[in-house]
Amino acid sequence: MTHGATSEPATPAAEPSLAKPAAGAGHPPSSPGTGRPAGRGKLPAVVNAQSLSLLGVLLALCVVGAITAPDQFLSTSNLQLVLVQASVIGVVTVGMTFVIISGGIDLSVGAMVALASVWCTTVATQEFGFMGMLFTALLVGLGCGLVNGTLIAYGPMVPFIATLAMLASARGLALQITGGNTQIVTVDSVLSLGERDSYILGVPPLVIIFAVVVVIGWTVLNRTTFGRRTVAIGGNAEAARLAGISVKRQRLMIYAVSGLCCGIAAFMLVVLSGSGQNTNGNLYELDAIAAAIIGGTLLSGGRGTIVGSVLGVLVFTTITNLFILNNLESAVQQIAKGAIIVVAVLLQRRTPYGQT
Amino acid sequence: MRPLPRPSRRGLLFGGAAASAGVMLSACTSNEPSDSGDDDGATQAAVSNDEPGTPVTIGFAGPQADHGWLNAINEQARSRAEEYSEVTLNITEGSNDTAQQIGQIEALINDQVDVLVILPADGRALTQIGLTAMQAGIPVINLDRIFDNPQAYRCYIGGDNYGMGLNAGHFIGEQLRDVPNARVVELSGPDSLELTVQRTAGFDAALANYPNIEKVARQAAEFTVESGQEVMAGLLQAQSQFDAIWNHDDDQGVGAERAIEQAGRDEFIMVGGAGSRHAMEAIQSDNSVLKATVLYPPTMAASAIDLARALGQAKGIGGLAEFEIPSSVTLYSAVVTRDNVEQYLPTGFN
Amino acid sequence: MASAPPPILTLTGITKSFPGVRALDGVDLDVLPGEVHCLLGQNGAGKSTLIKVISGAHRPDEGEIAWNGEQVQLSAPTAAMNLGIATIYQELDLVEHLSVAENVHLGNENARAGFVRRAAARETTAALLARLGHPEISPDRIVATLPAAGQQIVSMARALSHEVKLIVMDEPSAVLDSDEVDNLFRIVADLTADGVAVVYISHRLEEIRRIGDRVTVLKDGRAVARNLPAASTPTREVVALMTGRDTEQVFPDRPAEAPRAAEPVLRAEGLSRKGEFETLDLDIYPGEIVGLAGLVGSGRSEILETIYGARRPDTGSVQVEGRPLRPGSVTAAVRAGLGLAPEERKAQGLFLIDSVTRNVSISSLFRFARAGWIDRAKERSAARGYTKELSLRPDNPDVQIRTLSGGNQQKAVLARWLLRECKVLLLDEPTRGVDVGARAELYALIRRLADDGVAVLLVSSEIPEVLGLADRVLVLREGTVVHTAPARELDEHRVLDLVMEGSPA
Repeated sequence: MTHGATSEPATPAAEPSLAKPAAGAGHPPSSPGTGRPAGRGKLPAVVNAQSLSLLGVLLALCVVGAITAPDQFLSTSNLQLVLVQASVIGVVTVGMTFVIISGGIDLSVGAMVALASVWCTTVATQEFGFMGMLFTALLVGLGCGLVNGTLIAYGPMVPFIATLAMLASARGLALQITGGNTQIVTVDSVLSLGERDSYILGVPPLVIIFAVVVVIGWTVLNRTTFGRRTVAIGGNAEAARLAGISVKRQRLMIYAVSGLCCGIAAFMLVVLSGSGQNTNGNLYELDAIAAAIIGGTLLSGGRGTIVGSVLGVLVFTTITNLFILNNLESAVQQIAKGAIIVVAVLLQRRTPYGQT
Repeated sequence: MRPLPRPSRRGLLFGGAAASAGVMLSACTSNEPSDSGDDDGATQAAVSNDEPGTPVTIGFAGPQADHGWLNAINEQARSRAEEYSEVTLNITEGSNDTAQQIGQIEALINDQVDVLVILPADGRALTQIGLTAMQAGIPVINLDRIFDNPQAYRCYIGGDNYGMGLNAGHFIGEQLRDVPNARVVELSGPDSLELTVQRTAGFDAALANYPNIEKVARQAAEFTVESGQEVMAGLLQAQSQFDAIWNHDDDQGVGAERAIEQAGRDEFIMVGGAGSRHAMEAIQSDNSVLKATVLYPPTMAASAIDLARALGQAKGIGGLAEFEIPSSVTLYSAVVTRDNVEQYLPTGFN
Repeated sequence: MASAPPPILTLTGITKSFPGVRALDGVDLDVLPGEVHCLLGQNGAGKSTLIKVISGAHRPDEGEIAWNGEQVQLSAPTAAMNLGIATIYQELDLVEHLSVAENVHLGNENARAGFVRRAAARETTAALLARLGHPEISPDRIVATLPAAGQQIVSMARALSHEVKLIVMDEPSAVLDSDEVDNLFRIVADLTADGVAVVYISHRLEEIRRIGDRVTVLKDGRAVARNLPAASTPTREVVALMTGRDTEQVFPDRPAEAPRAAEPVLRAEGLSRKGEFETLDLDIYPGEIVGLAGLVGSGRSEILETIYGARRPDTGSVQVEGRPLRPGSVTAAVRAGLGLAPEERKAQGLFLIDSVTRNVSISSLFRFARAGWIDRAKERSAARGYTKELSLRPDNPDVQIRTLSGGNQQKAVLARWLLRECKVLLLDEPTRGVDVGARAELYALIRRLADDGVAVLLVSSEIPEVLGLADRVLVLREGTVVHTAPARELDEHRVLDLVMEGSPA
């Protein structure tokens, strides 16, 4: 690059040069901090209006829980449980949020979770112990994601179709590997990660993994060029291309991220359930899409927040928890779930479109 | 243990077949000599036995073996057929797609197999193809998921979902006989399935015999490990203390046991369903809450092969006086406990 | 005027506010039957809002609307339609994958018992198209396959499929060639002869002069002039009313005879794409503005996009500062110092729901990022440095760019490339949808860029713009350069002759 960020002194001219602005005009003063106040004066990006309304829904659910199951709902162990149950699908949803923001869709997340979970629990893989299983899960997820991304970016194929194909073949391969059997995990270090003894200050390790993924996801989306490009190609892929962004490479990487998240989630699921099964991750694609959408991510792309998606996941997990605590029938659960999706989306509609 | 009288035919020789794929049919007959009072009768039925008979080609069409029980069904059918030198088994690639399965069965009809064994992906949807086969002169053994129309099969053989619930309920009832105000929880399969409804109905009917027992919660899982873990974890939160739980399915039971382990609970006993090897081993080692499981035996596929062979050779079956095989066989859901697990362990599926 | 018939539509004291903006502030307007009433105003003056009030899309906060002297409420677009008001929007609102006939009857299906009477719909559509002078458009054709001008005709056919007494046209000529503009004017004349009133919006004063009867000028949500005779009001007066200042000279001065650099910054050799343009050779030197003049479809935009790597050439190569560009790679072109302000600004250039800052910085993120981590304060202040330089309004880098006027959006696109320190700027229709006042500002800006050493390749449908701004002009006809000359040696008639006839000089 011949043009770096160097700010040369302005060439003397009658008018200030536009193409190469003076140090004072275009670039911030060298002392750090003085440029900061410019970013103030608006809502911090962490909590936006849409997330606030969803937070309201979540709090309302908590109130319902505290009233209908006063002894159980607010207990430490139940809160731990809700968070643990949110963790696996939550990690998948973080990846899905990137995909949807980029204007795509990933229907294969559930199948990738299934494939990664069975691959890392085969007898042969288990012989390699904790790290062997972990890296198998991550690599399988990442590999599937790369295949998705390659098909979509360079095929090029419509994401819906490419990931639908991955859904079918990954599920098929998972079935092939297990032969339909449940693969029980016998590696103690893996199993113990899901048990009470390994909680750190009362926080289950799976929840810590989830939190780390969320923080990384938020940071990447809001603070890095990767995130910015993801938003850009979702907002207007053609404009992004003409602005010089390598849209294909970006797409490839976004689907790889989704795959990697599925690999992480698969390992977490193995820890949680102590087994690998080809039915794992059933309908995760719908749960993750629903969580992202009620979290305020535009299905058409270009806008979305990690915080919103996390809240979306927590809303769904809390609903499930409430239903079980109150022993409601599964038919009632489904009806209520549908109703809550509608309510959450309608509430968001009320918030102004332009707010960030 | 077996508190309700069952129709007499349920105790028939197939109990033996169900108990162990290795046990021979002829052995069964000799076990129950009193069954056949007309041994001396002039009309001795031609009884199917281990002696090779006329060659029989059996077509077998099942759903995709995407979980342990269905996998075991295929295995049972295959290994049973291998035991008979004169039996040729023509087994299709399983499919959950109705149209595809119809196509597979049509191919078997065209191949002119002697007998068809069909485990339909959806009994109702495949009734027509059963009728077609019967009209083409190929007798059909309908396995487990029953056709809508009795004309679509020559013989039905399947498990007893209601009986499964009943036996689970009675086992739990007997175990808790001396516990006042006993609390029982049910972890069912998907509510969208007819079999779940039947299992729950049987379970409730049995529990009704025990006034000291109250079923305090029932939640549905999805026959998967993942859902078993999730729902069980919630149930454990909801019920801070209970005495027994019946879980409909040993596959989801793997997740349920995991949740129990994670919650560190052990004040109750658990009864499983279906009869997986994993569950039986746990029962045998007796180091978890799982104390019993109610069978839904995949050995029914082996029995179906026997029935098909007998049908193909125009014989009846040992232990019954009739010239022909029965038109319907419903299997008994035995309760496997630590006392008898040894016997059943070989039939446990992965 | 004494014998003028009573107005068909009278607006009195129309006021409409949006959060933070008073879009209309007590506007009066009266439209007579059979007249062409022109609305003029800069972008943001309130024209769009006023049109939406007339078409029932917006309800005014205050004010009265009278139709043939009777007070009415236009609570919904259907209410306006039922009165006989039709609107042709600037952004064509057609369903691209439906046929012409289906679009014409959309929302007004000629149906019996739920079944669309397709034959009847085709017939009426064909009749409407014939009336509009385009019998060659088949009612069965899929709208997406029509050129922009054809889609405009379909829009108009749709408007006329109702019993129409007043028709609002929002910049109908923006996507049309001069031939098609003539046809449009003939249609307008036919309509007014039948007593239909036309409310006509355009940035092109010469058009208004040709077909307009009366002019209302809007500025900052107020009608600053009414009843101006369209034909005789001097341009200077109109522009002064619109901008509040006197912009006699629109185009900036050219530098005397700029000394040319030794090496061209951009060189295209033997570039061609089958069916689009043929063997193009082109050198552009730093500080030079080169214009491409030609009709719509003459290959102008295609040439820009091929140079830019957005299309892959069949033959030929592009070099920047002597180094060849990887063909068909926008990324490589941008890295080498090219920048494009695309023709369809909203569809190709902008991230509409993102902030101004993000729109400006998107091509230069590496400049603010360390290991992928963006220093947002640095990003914002750098972007702001340029938006301030370009006097982008409003002076708030955090607003969504979709809220800006066309001219300001275009400035943001220019700021993007300034921030990228690009060496060659490719401008495709840079003033489309930009009002007169802002145009002058853009022209001055482009000239300043060139003075600072940026090479500019300019495409425009408006020949005066090319002639006024460029140093050198390439005249294109059907994909071939038919003439190259310094701009000062050409005039509008000469260029028109060349693009029509193609006779070399």
